[in-house]
Amino acid sequence: MIQNPCILTDVTKCIGCEACVAGCKKANGIDLRDVPPRKGATPDGLSATRWTTILRKQDNHYVRKQCRHCLEPACVSVCPVGALVKTPEGPVVYDKSVCMGCRYCMLGCPYGIPHYEWNSLAPSVRKCVMCYENLKSGDLEQPGCTSSCPTKATIFGSRDEMLAEAKRRLDAEPDKYVQHVWGEKEVGGTSVLYISDIPLDFLGWQSGEHLGHEPLPAKTWSALKAVPYEFVGMGVLMTGIYWIIERRRQLAGSAAGEHEERGEETDE
Amino acid sequence: MNKRLVIFKSILWSLAGLAAAVAVMRFAFGLGAATNLSDSTPWGLWIGFDVMGGVALAAGGFVMAALVHIFHRDKYHPAARPAILTAFLGYGAVAVGLLFDLGLPWNIWHPMIFWNIHSPLFEVAWCVMLYLTVLALEVAPFILERTPFQKLYRFFRKLALPVMILGIMLSTLHQSSLGSLLLIMPFRVHPLWYTHFLPEFFFASAICLGLCMVMFESCITSWLYRRKPEMEMLSGLAKIAAWALGFCLLFRVGDLAVQGKLSMAFEGSWVSNLFLFEVMITGLLPVVLFSLSAVRRSFGALWFAASLPVLGFVLHRINASGLSQVWATDAFYFPAWTEFSISLGIVSGCALVFFFIQEHFPVDPHELDAMEEERRRADRRTPEFSPFSQIWLGEGWRKDAKVYSMLFILALAVGLSLAPRESAVASMPAEEGRGRDVLRLGVAEPFVYFDHTRHQKLNVGRESCGVCHHLNRVGDLGTPCAECHRSMYEPSPLFDHDHHVEKLGGNDSCDRCHEPGSRAHLAATKTCSSCHEKDMMADNPVVRKFDSLEAGPYKEALHKMCIPCHVKMDELKGEGENLQLCGTCHDRGTKSEAAFFEWLERRKRNEQ
Repeated sequence: MIQNPCILTDVTKCIGCEACVAGCKKANGIDLRDVPPRKGATPDGLSATRWTTILRKQDNHYVRKQCRHCLEPACVSVCPVGALVKTPEGPVVYDKSVCMGCRYCMLGCPYGIPHYEWNSLAPSVRKCVMCYENLKSGDLEQPGCTSSCPTKATIFGSRDEMLAEAKRRLDAEPDKYVQHVWGEKEVGGTSVLYISDIPLDFLGWQSGEHLGHEPLPAKTWSALKAVPYEFVGMGVLMTGIYWIIERRRQLAGSAAGEHEERGEETDE
Repeated sequence: MNKRLVIFKSILWSLAGLAAAVAVMRFAFGLGAATNLSDSTPWGLWIGFDVMGGVALAAGGFVMAALVHIFHRDKYHPAARPAILTAFLGYGAVAVGLLFDLGLPWNIWHPMIFWNIHSPLFEVAWCVMLYLTVLALEVAPFILERTPFQKLYRFFRKLALPVMILGIMLSTLHQSSLGSLLLIMPFRVHPLWYTHFLPEFFFASAICLGLCMVMFESCITSWLYRRKPEMEMLSGLAKIAAWALGFCLLFRVGDLAVQGKLSMAFEGSWVSNLFLFEVMITGLLPVVLFSLSAVRRSFGALWFAASLPVLGFVLHRINASGLSQVWATDAFYFPAWTEFSISLGIVSGCALVFFFIQEHFPVDPHELDAMEEERRRADRRTPEFSPFSQIWLGEGWRKDAKVYSMLFILALAVGLSLAPRESAVASMPAEEGRGRDVLRLGVAEPFVYFDHTRHQKLNVGRESCGVCHHLNRVGDLGTPCAECHRSMYEPSPLFDHDHHVEKLGGNDSCDRCHEPGSRAHLAATKTCSSCHEKDMMADNPVVRKFDSLEAGPYKEALHKMCIPCHVKMDELKGEGENLQLCGTCHDRGTKSEAAFFEWLERRKRNEQ
């Protein structure tokens, strides 16, 4: 399996046929039926049985939505038990046997990718895993979605190759594309890149500008790394205050006489 | 007997009964049936109130422990034990609440062995586990005080100080880490709530909430048990709370001002109004009230003033962890009644355990003496016959137990009959088809347009109706799909048993469908097609038999009907339009879409 696998999607080439969705379902053995959307949810095309989808935008623009496999994924960082793992090769995968179902990953993801099996009694978090198991065992050479794309709108390779290919296309036809590779720098970089002739900020809860280029896990780590100092600091502070006040009381007590001090001690 | 207390406890027992019923439903039918959560709002009331709010409500434990045992403010001693007991029960409630909210609750212990130190939730999990243990050690002395286990009691007494300091250390960590939980979602949490100082603010607000909760609780117990309120202690706490709340308010407003977001609060949107309301009841109002000496001298006013920040800060937790995120996700979420029921039931359970411990263990030694004296007197009293109920229920606790258990069971029964058994999916009836030339299918953009006229032409005349219309109603030539496949995503029932019994001639007609002598199970029943053969269209390529009691979901039915035909047509045509692609139907700007709007125009003209 190649290092840093990456998917490049060229929005200008997509015809919206959804062969990638079918390919994904086949490669991962997912139920072909889509689960009905929950009451009140924002319709986003994805569901627990649909790990990638095509968003249809004005003027025949089709944008494939899937997990970005961030270089520093927020979902992996927030999972309290490490059920979501960034594999050494790159894809972000999920281990149900470890998960406890807190759904923090679903909130942590800036793109709203993980979906939940709400109707199950033992629900799992579901999202694209870049066909990691199949790629690793060699059953597949590339993920089910890219191999089934009839127009090569979504292609698979190492991240460096894909980035170079994206830039090559942007340079070759500068008038056709928006001069931006989505996923190159957003939230520290992702392993799913997009080039397009329309802005793609609708893919996240907020625009890429709002998300920034800093990896999201850094935001919590700046608070979490202070934890040991806070812990010890508070302990020292409390013990110190106790000691000072106790000492002052003792001195006041001995000045007032033995009698009173004994009286205070019985008082808790 | 104290009527106030009996009524209050009756309400609590009823709520607990209702929650018990919902609990059964939650575990029998899953999160989907019991909540209104969705993929856009994965956290709801149970996290916002039970966990985030519960931990903060229980903050009184560490605040009072610090005030009394570290700072030696002996004036507040009477409030220390109730506060620590509340904290213990509160954290217990958090754990129970989590069992409901977690998708896989049997894995709740996983943070003990599977570590991820980068997750603030991991830290919270560990702190809560450890702090619950610490609180148990803090509660142990007053449970043991009047038992024969005096050696153990003295051992726990000696342990008290280091345990309290450890408790304060742990509380500092996880109260602030609840704020760190939200740091990673600047894209979800509304800017008015999001700040880099979320952990610090959560810690500061926990102290405020802890103080106010102690006052609120002290008020409510003295009201319920008709005790003289400890006004001196309460007004002292009010003074401290005024300072703490004032600090929190300045912190919050100042932080927003520095970030330049203050103007957002006056936008007038409902989120900004929510924010203003929150600031009003967590800051401005209580600070003013607590600093008035008239308020500090009045029991009722003090009670009211203390309840404001309690509500306000719990609201803050709910807003930050969920409600304010609607801004980003554009999704609607309001908790289902079942969610409220579980949250209220857990609080009720805690309150009942609190009352029990208070009435039987020396949480307040003087009051316990008084209560035991009262109980002894009640035992000596002659039985009274209630002329109203005409039933003698016994005296003292026996009578109460009967009343409470009856209420619990009644509420349980009501809950079991009302609780939803199915997941709350968006209800989506299929498109009504009768009298339309072009159908618009689907529930939202992008729609699929189905040009019925064009399909009719392609299939050569009336004889071909059966290619799609596989089953018709009596007297119909082509019954629209939606009249049997009524729901977009759910199967709809086809078979009306009562109708058949009536039409076939009442009870005597059972044999006509069910095999004589057999029980009316499906296996021994004739299939629908054995009588309705003639209603089926013979030349339908997909559905040839009528033997199902349900019509499948509309979406599935159409896919099954359209795809095989399109694949076949594609093979016959050889070249040209590729009819097998999903985009043939699922696309914008198709011929059928244009035909739909044309037809719409035509219909409008005709109506005029």
